[in-house]
Amino acid sequence: MSFRRIQPARIAAIAVKEWREIVRDRLFFALAFLVPSALMIVVGYGLSLDVENIPLVIVDRDHSALSREYAYRFISARYFRFMGYASSIDELDRPIKSDRIRAVIEIPPDFEKNLIRRNPVQVRSVIDGTFPSRAQITKGYIIAINGAANLDLTAREISSLIGIPEVVAREKLQPIRIEARYLYNENIQSRWSIVPKLIMAILLMSPPFLTVIGVVREKESGSIYNIYSSDVTKSEFLIGKLAPYVGISFCNSIVLFLIATLVFQVAFKGSVPAFFFATAIYVICTTAIGLLVSVLVRTQIAAMIITIIITLLPAVLYSGLLFPISSSTPAARVIAHLLPAMYYTSIVDNIFLKGEGWAAAARGSAILGVYLAVLFFAGYSLFSKRPSR
Amino acid sequence: MISENKRRWLTQVYALAIKEYLQIFRDITLMVFMVYAFTGDVYFAGSGVTLQLRNAATIVYDADRSQASRDLVRQFRPPYFSVEDAISMPSFPVSGDPSRGGDSELARGDAMISLAIPHGFERRLLRDESQSLQMRVDTTHSIPGYLASMYSARIVNDFAMRSSPLLSQLPPSVTDFFPPLRDEYRTLFNPNQDEGWFMSVSQLLNVITVFAILLPGAALVRERERGTIEQLTVSPLSPFQILLPKVFAMTSIVLLGTFLSWFFVLRPVFHVPSRGGFPLFVAVTVLYVVTSTSLGLLAATIARNMAQIGMLTIFLVAPMIFLSGAWTPPEAMPAWLRVGTLAFPLHHYINASYAILFKGAGLSIIWPSCLAIAGLGSVNVLFTLRRFRGI
Amino acid sequence: MATPQMVTDAKGIVKVYGSTEAVRGVDLQVSKGELYGLIGPDGAGKSSIMKIIAGVLAQDAGDVRVFGTSIDSEASAEAVKSRLGFMPQGLGLNLYADLSVEENIDFFAKLRLVPSAALKQRKAELLSMTRLKHFKDRPMKHLSGGMKQKLGLICSIIHEPELLILDEPTTGVDPVSRRDFWSILHSLIQDRGITALVSTAYLDEADRFTRVALLHRGKVLLQGTPEEMRRSARGSIVSVRAEPSDEAFERLRAWTPQIERRGDSLRVFVGERFGQEAISEVTEKLSSFRIESAEATDPDLEDTFIALLRRDEAKPAAPSLISRERSVASAALAIEARDLSRVFDSFRAVDSVSFQVRSGEIFGLLGANGAGKTTVIKMLTGIIPPSSGSARVGGIDVAAAGGSVKTRLGYMSQAFSLYQDLTVLENLRLYAGIYGISGARAKRRVDEILDMADLHVFLNQLSGRLPMGVRQRLALGCALIHEPQVLFLDEPTSGVDPLGRRSFWEVIYRLAREKGVGILVTTHYMSEAEHCDHIALMYAGRAVEDASPAELKARLEKEVGRILEFSCADPYRAVELLGTNGFSGPALLGSRVRIFSKSPDADLVGIARVLALAGISHGEVRERPFTMEDVFVHRITGLEQEGAA
Repeated sequence: MSFRRIQPARIAAIAVKEWREIVRDRLFFALAFLVPSALMIVVGYGLSLDVENIPLVIVDRDHSALSREYAYRFISARYFRFMGYASSIDELDRPIKSDRIRAVIEIPPDFEKNLIRRNPVQVRSVIDGTFPSRAQITKGYIIAINGAANLDLTAREISSLIGIPEVVAREKLQPIRIEARYLYNENIQSRWSIVPKLIMAILLMSPPFLTVIGVVREKESGSIYNIYSSDVTKSEFLIGKLAPYVGISFCNSIVLFLIATLVFQVAFKGSVPAFFFATAIYVICTTAIGLLVSVLVRTQIAAMIITIIITLLPAVLYSGLLFPISSSTPAARVIAHLLPAMYYTSIVDNIFLKGEGWAAAARGSAILGVYLAVLFFAGYSLFSKRPSR
Repeated sequence: MISENKRRWLTQVYALAIKEYLQIFRDITLMVFMVYAFTGDVYFAGSGVTLQLRNAATIVYDADRSQASRDLVRQFRPPYFSVEDAISMPSFPVSGDPSRGGDSELARGDAMISLAIPHGFERRLLRDESQSLQMRVDTTHSIPGYLASMYSARIVNDFAMRSSPLLSQLPPSVTDFFPPLRDEYRTLFNPNQDEGWFMSVSQLLNVITVFAILLPGAALVRERERGTIEQLTVSPLSPFQILLPKVFAMTSIVLLGTFLSWFFVLRPVFHVPSRGGFPLFVAVTVLYVVTSTSLGLLAATIARNMAQIGMLTIFLVAPMIFLSGAWTPPEAMPAWLRVGTLAFPLHHYINASYAILFKGAGLSIIWPSCLAIAGLGSVNVLFTLRRFRGI
Repeated sequence: MATPQMVTDAKGIVKVYGSTEAVRGVDLQVSKGELYGLIGPDGAGKSSIMKIIAGVLAQDAGDVRVFGTSIDSEASAEAVKSRLGFMPQGLGLNLYADLSVEENIDFFAKLRLVPSAALKQRKAELLSMTRLKHFKDRPMKHLSGGMKQKLGLICSIIHEPELLILDEPTTGVDPVSRRDFWSILHSLIQDRGITALVSTAYLDEADRFTRVALLHRGKVLLQGTPEEMRRSARGSIVSVRAEPSDEAFERLRAWTPQIERRGDSLRVFVGERFGQEAISEVTEKLSSFRIESAEATDPDLEDTFIALLRRDEAKPAAPSLISRERSVASAALAIEARDLSRVFDSFRAVDSVSFQVRSGEIFGLLGANGAGKTTVIKMLTGIIPPSSGSARVGGIDVAAAGGSVKTRLGYMSQAFSLYQDLTVLENLRLYAGIYGISGARAKRRVDEILDMADLHVFLNQLSGRLPMGVRQRLALGCALIHEPQVLFLDEPTSGVDPLGRRSFWEVIYRLAREKGVGILVTTHYMSEAEHCDHIALMYAGRAVEDASPAELKARLEKEVGRILEFSCADPYRAVELLGTNGFSGPALLGSRVRIFSKSPDADLVGIARVLALAGISHGEVRERPFTMEDVFVHRITGLEQEGAA
């Protein structure tokens, strides 16, 4: 007798009631739709690792034609914003500390003279290392410019030594060319890479938040006694209660998809039904996270704070939103594999950018399905219709 | 007489502050979680996750299997690259669906870069013939993709230049000159590029933000929902007296969390420096938390119930956290958004905190950030008091 | 009818919360078809027992059988829930505020899988019976308290349960709605053969139960029919008017704790004495006083229960809160409402209300739920500004009032508005601090309040976990901590047990008389209205009468004549018959029937004839004095009919 058949009519009754309560709180209802979309748009524009316009100062202690030519390579590069010349690095301490300068190139005295005498010259770059990722990218840009400068100087030298045209010398110096093909994100746009994954992050954070608000509200107000005292089964209640939130979040996922493809013009290369199939599972899964929190927590304040904290970090750092999980340490990789976000990230990447279809959706969804089952079972067993308090 | 009034004023504020503490400390779940947020969460943020190119999985299809090709492959090494057993892959990558433009490893995400060394690579190299290598880069993550391709270009170029027969014809006195520019890099403030420093501090600032905005906001809304605010309105308390203890209690609790984080995680685990002095960091934190707390209270004067304050807070906090520079550099944002982030107190707080902790900046340098935080805070307080009178 | 079958059979229920033993071994047997009452003071364990029987709270020990099934696990509780209906405590707390009346009903019905045809029919029937038909599209949050409770009742019986469990369904509901509620409940139970387990804080309602269990401190003190209850504490009530009244009161209180003021007279319970014998026992004690009148009547059930509880407890009389010094009765205006109006959107919640309360006066604001009483109080306390008119406290307009006026003002709101996650002591200290009281004075005041509200036992309990009545006592304590000169009490005794209410009113009375505090109070207990110096009746936002209780009663008597009252075998049918036979204002009060009569002698004969024809035996028909409840019900029903017409 402990197992009873689930009655769809009851689930519908609970879902309809919940839906009506959500709709009648106008501000809440509006925000439930507005927040994810607004977040997508603002963060989609803003969240980028494409570092450009790095404020740069050049300390030219040579003041020669060659040093100016070298400096000009940096001044003309679009990655840098040239802030001017300075006479020594020491005087830059203050602007660097107050974020007005991020990089300094120092050209030593006798730069030109040494190069003409075939003495190698030390060029020093100083980079603000506060933000390691930015520092690495800045360093990458400088390396590329220095590499090009070296090639030009070497080619010029050789051409004058053995009397071949500079162009030929350059070709001889570079017998191997790399023909790089950028796959999936042909123009290497940060936006293409981050925006689809933002769908993942927003759908990890907003559904559980909506859910805890709804469920704990019922617990605090006392109307939960209607559920306790009736013969509704726990599954019926939980499914009916969550359904509207899943519905809202699924609608949001469609809106987010449209924002990604229409506003940010990210090319969608894969199968739309497969994408939404996987998204539906993911949304149910994240909603179930909210369910678990709300079963465990008594007050709305605690529920809301807990939900933000436990979803924020996984959504951003343990999901592959900004950088691939494969770059992380082994321990971090293990944690990432224990959280659901990463799997959906790979579904998004595969379907959105790599153009895959059901195969990719099925792979990830299977794992998310297991999550869902675990979360729901945990919520189910912790929820009691006959509590002792 | 004045001292009597003052004593009375203090008694009132003190009683309300005690109430706030009791309410927070009594919510055991919240307390336990708060401890986790300031320790565990900060730890997880600082350990292991990186925003740099590390161990980019590289697959080499070596059809040449020569000394030269092996030498080249050897240049792809950690920390940037990790080459998976290159030599055993003899075939040129034509597997996979060419129309999709990827091979299966890249498509599956098992590798980020695939490099094909064609048959006859060494022969052509020795004959001084120019040739090209095919490289495919997965740019679903744009920045690592970009960095990986840039580093590999540099590796191949250096390799090519070194093995160029052109140079071997020249006397050593000349070749020693090459490359003419010896580039040297100095990374300030964090020479080892320890990301634990950066990520853990960033996360601490995020956690502070979440608590400082949501906690007082929700507490005020709860007073309205339960009707206790009516009792306070009827009493001889001024709006300022009602709000001040909330700000005070919340600020001190968040500060407690900050100390917890600093002395149990940031210092001992990540060895985060405090070059400009920890006290200055604490002072700026107080200023920031007061500002954020009043922002939460302002939101609470708009919201009618818990659900609304929750959504409103998310609406405020999420863009702030995402765009203030905790995870991505502000330089990467479009100009109009960068101007927008100036309205986020967190933006200024992050700048000030990094400057104090990592750069050793003093008040003489960070005062503009402090001024901005204080300015935003005063606006919040002003609006909150005005709206609160209207309740 | 089959042999009575046990619907609930509970043995040795124990429930412990932390270190508090809420229920300490309770046995309870409810048979099929009974209307079983649970009564007892606050914190007696009524709510816990009801929740345990409803299967929504796990007991710590005891064998609870419902319909023969032992409830010892979540699964076994589930097995009987389809046959149960449960309505928890709190006015409309289990309903959904944003949903309309009909949507609420539909939700409960669908939750219980009521077939739609049956739902349609039952809904129509119940809505018309409860007269909620015209409000079916109104959101629940806009219903009055009485309507909320009727809706709650519909929702908990829409699936036609065999056992209905109602936890204080009439608390906070005005007398008219309360009568309505009971008659609806009664006919539902009779028509459908439902068994009901109901708790109540209104002991005059206990007469309606077939059987009652009197609980005290987690134990059953007594179990039986109301008649059996009466027999177990026999005695008389002696109403005596003696001068000087306050000294007489003190004199009698030293002799017996069961004494209360009722208007000018003192009501004393005298055990085991009747008639003249009881009177002389009282007058003997008052030998040195001038006795103006004295009469003995049968005690009502409330008196009986108090006597029973006193016997169990032997509690000393509540010590007085106020120092003995006597303030000079002043004629200063404490509270003044001048053409006070408040419009919400287009709805006039308060419509040009005027009244004056002088220092030392107790002013009662009576009215049905939703009449606008709370809005008046909120304007007078400065919580909301009036749309027009002025609200003055101590002669100063509240809208412009500064801290000095607010310090003299005490307010106890209708909704329990203390910090639920703070303990009793912490709440008191907090309120002392809010009013700037510190140090030794704070300590003294907190102690005094703890004594006055009898809160020592609950000192370190979270106020959110307290029984409703104890919460109200605490709330009053918090409102009094700064010794206010003007006091606003919005339904202060809602849900408080009779013992608590009596000591409560003792405090109020002394505050007014000895400290010269001006007090405005609202209440749904009409017996309490008798304590007021003058009373305004509010209806639909307007104040319709303003006079002393005696004056109000006299006006009513002029209008409808005398009151005749009797008990009989089938009171429900008797009321019906008398109504169809043209008697004026027949109504059921407890188990007794009353009518208005302008010619008592003729009507005495008439009643006997009508009842004899129907074969209903009845007791002696007696004339009885008017009560405030008569006034209230008559006036409000009259206004309602006017409004409907």
